[in-house]
Amino acid sequence: MSTRLEIQDLTHSYGGDRPALSGLTLSVEPGELVALLGPSGCGKTTALKIIAGLLSPTAGDVRIGGRSVLNVPPEQREAAMVFQKSLLFPHMTVESNVGFGLRMRGTPRGEMRERVERALRRVHMGGFATRKPAALSGGQQQRVALARALVTEPRLLLLDEPLSALDANLREGMRGLIKEVQREGKHTTVFVTHDQEEAVILADRIALVTDGHLRMYDRPEAFYDRPLNREIAEFFGAANFLHGQARNGTVETPLGALKLAIPATSGEVTLTIRPEAVRLEGGENSFSARVREATYLGTQVLYGLEASGGVALKAALPPHTRLTVGDDVLVRLPAESLWALGR
Amino acid sequence: MDRKNRRRGNLGLAVAALLVALPFLPLFLWSFAGEWRFPALLPTGWSLRGFQALAEPGSRVIEATINSLVVGGAATAASVAVGLPAGMALGRYEFRLKGLVVFFVLLPILVPPLASTMGVHLTFIRLGLADTAFGVFLVHLVPTVPYTTVILASVFAERGVELEEAARTLGATPWQAFLRVTLPGVAPGVAVAALFAFLVSWSQYILTVLIGGGNVITLPMLLFSAARGSDPVLTSVLALIFVLPAILALVAALRFLKAGDAKKKQEGLLGLGKVS
Amino acid sequence: MGRRVKITLLLAPALLVVSVLFAGGLSAAVVQSLGYLPAIGRTEVSLDAYREVLGSRDFLDSLLLTVYVAGASTGISTVLAVLSALALRNSAGRLSAAIFQLPVTIPHLVAAVGIALVVSQTGLGARVAAALGLIGEPSEFPALLFDRHSIGIILTYVWKEVPFITLVALAALRGVAAELEEVAQTLGANRWQRFWYVVFPVIAPGVVAASLIVFAFTFGAFEVPYLLGQTYPTILPVMAYNEYRSIDLSSRPAAMAINVLIALITALFAAAYLRLGRGLGRG
Repeated sequence: MSTRLEIQDLTHSYGGDRPALSGLTLSVEPGELVALLGPSGCGKTTALKIIAGLLSPTAGDVRIGGRSVLNVPPEQREAAMVFQKSLLFPHMTVESNVGFGLRMRGTPRGEMRERVERALRRVHMGGFATRKPAALSGGQQQRVALARALVTEPRLLLLDEPLSALDANLREGMRGLIKEVQREGKHTTVFVTHDQEEAVILADRIALVTDGHLRMYDRPEAFYDRPLNREIAEFFGAANFLHGQARNGTVETPLGALKLAIPATSGEVTLTIRPEAVRLEGGENSFSARVREATYLGTQVLYGLEASGGVALKAALPPHTRLTVGDDVLVRLPAESLWALGR
Repeated sequence: MDRKNRRRGNLGLAVAALLVALPFLPLFLWSFAGEWRFPALLPTGWSLRGFQALAEPGSRVIEATINSLVVGGAATAASVAVGLPAGMALGRYEFRLKGLVVFFVLLPILVPPLASTMGVHLTFIRLGLADTAFGVFLVHLVPTVPYTTVILASVFAERGVELEEAARTLGATPWQAFLRVTLPGVAPGVAVAALFAFLVSWSQYILTVLIGGGNVITLPMLLFSAARGSDPVLTSVLALIFVLPAILALVAALRFLKAGDAKKKQEGLLGLGKVS
Repeated sequence: MGRRVKITLLLAPALLVVSVLFAGGLSAAVVQSLGYLPAIGRTEVSLDAYREVLGSRDFLDSLLLTVYVAGASTGISTVLAVLSALALRNSAGRLSAAIFQLPVTIPHLVAAVGIALVVSQTGLGARVAAALGLIGEPSEFPALLFDRHSIGIILTYVWKEVPFITLVALAALRGVAAELEEVAQTLGANRWQRFWYVVFPVIAPGVVAASLIVFAFTFGAFEVPYLLGQTYPTILPVMAYNEYRSIDLSSRPAAMAINVLIALITALFAAAYLRLGRGLGRG
């Protein structure tokens, strides 16, 4: 049941001065899980509702399995959606809730019962078939909502912040469940979230959306290692930025000439390196610095370093690195971890 | 698709507005009609005869308006004073028999007050309360107190006690917390409750007739006798005067319930139903 | 101050008002309906008044008329309200609130007067009919006031109550029902299936509760039928009032018996309403 989803040049305006979505284009491979990541109000839920058919785009196209679905009503798109709130039908039992989609399609009773049972077991809710939604906890409700969406074997699974209404301790379990169920069923899935950690853990690829525009669409590690620009780098926790002049494969910076594994194009550039990639050793790209600040974070220590010329750097190091404020150290920025940002 | 739906909805709204306005149309036309014989669609002559007639001393309109205002004002004040503590108890605390108390307090607006009023009439006569404005005020409390109590209960329930608790931790005594935090907080709710109570009292006909016994004339009684008579001009003018506070209240309420919380407030009002 | 004492003190004034003026009055009505009227020298207690009332043709006719008027008003209002709520769910929220709030706020008496001026034989409706050439004389227009079928009364109630129920239904429709309908749609439910399996069951409790209030109200209301109703049979509250006003004090127990019966019937509906309300988890 794996289907490709293509979104082309999707634009939507609610009538305000700025469109909620402008020119969003991306494709989701069969069985892939893509996270639409962005701050609230960035247009990601709008995109999801357009894919589901609950909203019509102002312009652009949505193609499921290669065919445009703009004229297909939501109920025929086979794009099941799980919402932030579980939105279980309050007047139905868990069983009837999960069986709803099958009932709408006229599935025979026996088959329906069997599939509902299987779906409930998949989300570890086997014993709750006859309960009413009001008798379930928030986490249980959300699991039933997931089963309800999955039971019809939809071509697309659309998840709109399904974890955000859950307590932190339930979130991890639900996250694991979504991943497990999605891998197992090979559902083509779009997952909307504002939580970067969630997106990184769950997604095969992340589409970063801000102000209705797609900013970057790539595998999660790319957002750490090869962010497109400073804004994205900062969004993913990068803290070190160095200005320099690229020339002949090296970059001239206040710290000296630095070598990059992937050379930057000549001209003015901004280099970035993640705090956890900074090394305390000599060699290529090394210089001396003084420890200005040390913050113990449990699994690591975050050091604030000051190099010659007053350049400040952050370095996250294992907790057994016992440096104290005022120490002078030798610091190396490995060439393979340095990345030149685009303009 | 959404736009088409919206257009259809607004068309329906226009039809609804027309139907709602329909009974007011003849009321307005008749109020200013001089001559309007069948089958003319519109009055053939215009006059202010109805308004002039009401301005004459013999019409008793001034007296009735004053009575309605005094009884309504007193009933409003008393029912808010009674409903405020009761609403606080019902909105804030859980206690045994709460369901029963709510049922008991609501009963007077769900069960028509005709029976209880006729029942209480004899006692009122014995106590000298019958045929007095004070007696009328007392029976008007029967339908108004339940409204103020329930409206204020929902106001208190929605509000919670966190702000008062915060005030207490900042050194306020319970009484100070009530005066400085609770009361200003529930003031809008009190206004809504007062408005409702006034409209309910203002609209009472049968309770006033039974207990006032024709001695206490209020506006609805004048309207009633005009409506049973044969002068549509007088009836219409009276009806317009009588309906004025309700319209004002509605305008005030709609201004007051600004966009965001309009729905919630509206539901709050609706749970309680109706005036008169 | 203990919690219980505090709650009791807070509730005391309201409970006092309701106990004395309402419950006290109702009890007095029950006592008088049993024939206990020391004022006219009757102190023996009996069910004669009930026997008399329940056995009389007049009461039966009145009861049937009352059930008919209340039932028709409630039924028509409920159906129209659900339909208009469905039709208006996509319209501007605040505007529709204003339009529908108006009849809810208008006193019944004014509504009755206005409706009468529209539907009477010389009213606006008749004039429009004449202008269209449908009738020549007022008497050719159907009699809708003081008539056997209580059309004028029912129209007044429908005008007042449709907006009331519509607002309840709209609130439900625009709230969770709208979201649930979207879910149902992504799960493959077509328009009819969404209405039947999701929207209707979700708005039903609120609508039924509102209808119960309307029924209880129209069953016990006095003004509109007194103004627009025929002389015989009359609606129960009007009958009770007429009996009560009669100079012959010996008909007092009968009047009270009718009142007690009205109160009992409406109290049943009130209890059903509150039960439903509790089921909905309302305060």
